[in-house]
Amino acid sequence: MNTTNTHAKASTPRSVTVPDASKVPGWARTETVRRIVTVLLGIAAIVIALFPVVPNRSAQSTVIIALVVAVGAVGLNIITGYTGYLSIGHFAFIGVGAYFVAILAKAVPGVAPLVWVPVAGLVTALLAVLLGLVTYRSRGPSFVIISIAMLFLMRFVATEWHAVTNGTSGITLPMYSWPREWGNWPIHISLVVLLGLSLALSGWIRRTKFGLGLIAIREDEGKAGTVGVNSPVYKLLAFGASALLVGMAGGVYGYFMGFVDPVNMFSILLSVQLVLAVILGGRGTLFGPVLGAFIVVPLDIFANNTGGGGNTRLVMFGLLLIFLVVLLPKGVLPSLSHHLERIRTRGTVGLSGTRLGAADELSIRDRPEVPDPAELAERLEAAPPILEVKGLSKSFGGNQAVNDCTFTVPEGSITGLIGPNGSGKTTVFNLISGTLLPDAGTVRIGGTDISRMPSWGRAHRGLGRTFQSTRLFKEMSVLENIAAPLGSFSIPQLGLDAVSGREAERARELLDFVGLSRYEQAKAGSLSYGQQKLVELGQVLVLDPKLILLDEPAGGINPTLIERMGDLIRDLNAQGKSFLLVEHNMPFVLGLCNPVRVLAQGHIIAAGSPDEIQTDDAVIDAYLGDDYLLDSDNSATRRMAIEGSAS
Amino acid sequence: MTTLLQLLITGLLVGAVYALMSSGLTLIFGVMRVVNLAHGAFAVLAAYLTYTVWTWTGLDPLLSVPIIVAVMFGIGWLSYNLVVRHVRGSHISMTVLVTFGIALTIEGIAGFVWGNQSRTVRTSYTDTSVQIGPFFLPTATLLAAAIAVALLGALFFILNQTWTGRAVRASAVNESGALLVGVSVKSIAASAFALGIATLGAGGAIIAVMYPFIPGTHYQWIARLLAIVVLGGLGSLMGAVIGALSIGVAEQFATQYVGASWVEIVPFLVIIIILIVRPRGILGQKLREDATV
Repeated sequence: MNTTNTHAKASTPRSVTVPDASKVPGWARTETVRRIVTVLLGIAAIVIALFPVVPNRSAQSTVIIALVVAVGAVGLNIITGYTGYLSIGHFAFIGVGAYFVAILAKAVPGVAPLVWVPVAGLVTALLAVLLGLVTYRSRGPSFVIISIAMLFLMRFVATEWHAVTNGTSGITLPMYSWPREWGNWPIHISLVVLLGLSLALSGWIRRTKFGLGLIAIREDEGKAGTVGVNSPVYKLLAFGASALLVGMAGGVYGYFMGFVDPVNMFSILLSVQLVLAVILGGRGTLFGPVLGAFIVVPLDIFANNTGGGGNTRLVMFGLLLIFLVVLLPKGVLPSLSHHLERIRTRGTVGLSGTRLGAADELSIRDRPEVPDPAELAERLEAAPPILEVKGLSKSFGGNQAVNDCTFTVPEGSITGLIGPNGSGKTTVFNLISGTLLPDAGTVRIGGTDISRMPSWGRAHRGLGRTFQSTRLFKEMSVLENIAAPLGSFSIPQLGLDAVSGREAERARELLDFVGLSRYEQAKAGSLSYGQQKLVELGQVLVLDPKLILLDEPAGGINPTLIERMGDLIRDLNAQGKSFLLVEHNMPFVLGLCNPVRVLAQGHIIAAGSPDEIQTDDAVIDAYLGDDYLLDSDNSATRRMAIEGSAS
Repeated sequence: MTTLLQLLITGLLVGAVYALMSSGLTLIFGVMRVVNLAHGAFAVLAAYLTYTVWTWTGLDPLLSVPIIVAVMFGIGWLSYNLVVRHVRGSHISMTVLVTFGIALTIEGIAGFVWGNQSRTVRTSYTDTSVQIGPFFLPTATLLAAAIAVALLGALFFILNQTWTGRAVRASAVNESGALLVGVSVKSIAASAFALGIATLGAGGAIIAVMYPFIPGTHYQWIARLLAIVVLGGLGSLMGAVIGALSIGVAEQFATQYVGASWVEIVPFLVIIIILIVRPRGILGQKLREDATV
């Protein structure tokens, strides 16, 4: 594929991704599938909306409960599917909504209880934001544990706060305020409307910058910070959004049940149903949670009425959870679309691993005249530094990784940071980019002290970084990866389309710049390691940073890509960007960087032009250890020693 | 003053039992990064098994500990190989869901087999207490704590002095490193899981004597055990012991001075506060996130 006429390919760079249409079965073509899905969705919407025409009361309540669970699951999906935080206690928000409506219905007689539903939603959302505050510091297992704790805590409050909740006896709501012959219609229609709103909200979130940020958090929260995603605010908003309509559905649910008590409103089994609905249907998909709800709820009601009740439900849900997670962790919808994709692309060649054609070569301008290294070093060091690191220290337990580290990066330079393995280079990087906070010392960028700032704040102030082993958002497309970084933060901006307008244009330009245009729709995780490094560089460039930190840009990639990486860096430098790079490939560093800083045991032991560094005794000592005897004053030998030891 | 000391001593005795029960939870997390939400359910299951052995044979429940431990070891081993094995290395939320699924399944099965009414194992010493100086200590609690301390000692011995124990610890610290030096991490994980459930089984036999239980009691237990390991630091055995003793004492004081119903909320408050204030707990390791690939 890569040996064909380069011009033809250059004009239609993405043609490779389009499979041979003749081989795809008619029903599997994109347009056909889309049409089928639209028709199915339409039918489902009509059937669900008009369901109460079926006179069977118990079937009606099954659908009503399925609607409640569906709204809950769509909400849960915003946290769990998009943001990656599993909540096992999400039904608590339904309980809060139900209690809120029940309490107000009792306190203000004469007002139709459904009037309170929107307020219940707002109260619930506020509560969820408070819960979101908890996640400010804790990731991983913490949140899921907290989510269960929250459910039981709510139940406890509902049990103990007799004055308001009437304790375990619960609160009975008034009868329906509408004519008898309307039956369940008002309840049903309210829930259909809420489900519609939930889907609209969820779909809108997924399309916006906000949604892209949430997915970035799911994929790699630490990395998301370094590309400017202000994750605490994102998470708070996500929690609020995930509870708003769920609280409203809870209000309707309470009124429908006619009675609220702690055990039924803060039910762990119903919470499990929300989780099951999301996972079964497909985490992170728009309609998956709804599909899941309409499978799980009828199953539950069947098991309860004809299958022997509580214990059967427990065993059924227990086993369902186990089987789903082990056998179908992605859920129904993603598995279906994955299968469809395979049918569609059968017999076509994958993109990843294709060699770069001549068309992908860079259009680097003529290399600028390289001045004398020593002179350049002197000139650069005289200029005010873009980055100033002073007395930086960090220890992990008893291990002093960085120890009183002081150096500068002159504005407009490509500064190299070298040092033996374990000398603290990556830790220094993490301290500069904010992935770690220092024990002592300061980091200034352009004169501003940023040492206590979170990583996204630093990104907004013109600092970009790449990681030693690339950290792309693997489930996102290459283009989305490049569009995800945010150079600043504002709430209105979150509502913008994720990949559109000027920014999309800029993202495409940058993809072009790193030479990976035709991979724009490929999943980032499917690219080769070297390609991922280039995408990561592109990602950083979207921030339009003043200073770029590169952690081993030439590590683990082939010589052609190394050369290309060097060219890119020189070109960007000529455009005015400053660099600080950590690298073990000495010829690469010494050929590219000027000045160079040498780190050993967390401390800068030498600084200067590449030539000075290579003949510095302390440097040679650090690389080769105390036992190394200097047997010759010949600097060439020493130079070889350094290069040899490091590569 | 005597009341305070009495509360403190009782709390420490109960805490010793908690320590035994939570050691498995923290061990399993340490070795395979699995938060075993079924830990409470396994404990209740062990209590039911003790109940059955007691009703069938009349054997003193504390003497049936070896039987229960053996049976629970087998159940743990089976659970690992049938289910947990498949989610090792998955995202933490997946492991939580799977073990929660196990918990629900056990709760349902226990409901089928033993019914949903409350059970207790009443022995000749159930309502007696021993007077030591000015303190009255319930006999069952005293015996329970003694057994718990002995078994914890055995667990520490296994982990520190045997090859298997060192392999378990090695796998916990660095899985690929352990693989490289010849530890079959897979079978070690199975042993660690089974070992964790077995020690819990002893705890289950003990609590059968101390408290009444129904299948749903496992929520209360998992909350308490989670609070203990979160407080001590997930994955740290010494942390779990410290956490268990603290929670044991805290519960006694809460019962005495705040009200019995508040005891059930202590664990949740501890969990939430610790995870906000100091997510790594007392002795938990702060992991270098950037170094992991």
